[in-house]
Amino acid sequence: MNWESILPNVFAGDAPHAAEAPMDPPMDNAVFAGFYQRSARPLWAYLARTSGDPALADDLMQESFVRFLCASRPVSLQAEGEVAGRRYLFRIATNLLRDHWRRPQFASIEEIPEEFLAATSSSAQSDSQAVLGPALAQLRPRDRQLLWLAHAEGYSHREIAEITGLASASIRLLLFRARRKIAVLLRQQERNQGLQLNPPSRRQP
Amino acid sequence: MILRPCPCEKEVAQLLAQGGWPAACSPELRAHVTSCRSCGDLVLVQQAFQRARAHSAAAAPLASPGVLWWRAQLRRRQAAVERVGRPILGAQIFALAVNLLLVVVFLAYQARHGLSWLSWLAQLPQSFTLHLEALWPSALADSGMSLLVLIPALATLALLGGVVVYLAADRQ
Repeated sequence: MNWESILPNVFAGDAPHAAEAPMDPPMDNAVFAGFYQRSARPLWAYLARTSGDPALADDLMQESFVRFLCASRPVSLQAEGEVAGRRYLFRIATNLLRDHWRRPQFASIEEIPEEFLAATSSSAQSDSQAVLGPALAQLRPRDRQLLWLAHAEGYSHREIAEITGLASASIRLLLFRARRKIAVLLRQQERNQGLQLNPPSRRQP
Repeated sequence: MILRPCPCEKEVAQLLAQGGWPAACSPELRAHVTSCRSCGDLVLVQQAFQRARAHSAAAAPLASPGVLWWRAQLRRRQAAVERVGRPILGAQIFALAVNLLLVVVFLAYQARHGLSWLSWLAQLPQSFTLHLEALWPSALADSGMSLLVLIPALATLALLGGVVVYLAADRQ
């Protein structure tokens, strides 16, 4: 028995609304699979880097996609485009991350000792993670989100405001401060790494 | 904090986004970036984040989209069933309220018009045999309209009991 045939209006959302607006073709499995293949990796990268926890990123990414599909007014990929769909997906993921950090039973990212994050980062093979990981760990979660959305995903200030729910006018200032802060940290790390690779030679007596 | 964005920042950002830095960049702009803190920060941060994005995206463990699709379908069905169940629960509460109202009306009626049928009920065990003819309309006429009221009332109580039992079982 098909549920959609029994409860068509319930699955379609609000019946009056559906009657007023022209119905977009519903997203099918194949369309979703294509969208997932193109969007899942950037979303995972965003979640993993801003949370510092790959396991949490796995969970939140899956939950984001499920919520995306279950949305009462879903973004139509055909009508609004994949860019809008991805933006909506990042918005869901941002809200999930925020909820996770607010939940009292779990340790907040700000309460995790710095050594834990540093150890996680140093164990990673990639150079970029070893450089960026510790610097990101010293920033506030919101700053990490803003920086990632702006510099890794290339979103505009207006789009970042839409994703994070912050005021569009404040994004510029927040981003400026966060960028200045992380640039200082990155330069500091570069200097430290340079010192480790080329230690200053002591003059022999 | 007063923000004074560098006029070259937009151009540098564009070059970085298009992958044209530093190859497609003029020597003047390159010289500017080494001297301008804002543009230098932009280049440093953007390059670090782009590298990190490429590494993380390559390392992302992806679940099957079919599994997520199936999970979403299950959740939607569950939500739909809950949405459909809500009016049914409302109807049950309404039926319960109507029954309770009937009981209250019946009790009020009985209290106002006297409990004459109680005396008839009290006389029933005193007789040695149960006279079925007592239930005929002629006998009813003796006890007024009380039996006509009693039977619907008992039926209502039985129905009410049934609803209460059903609601309790449904909750469990």
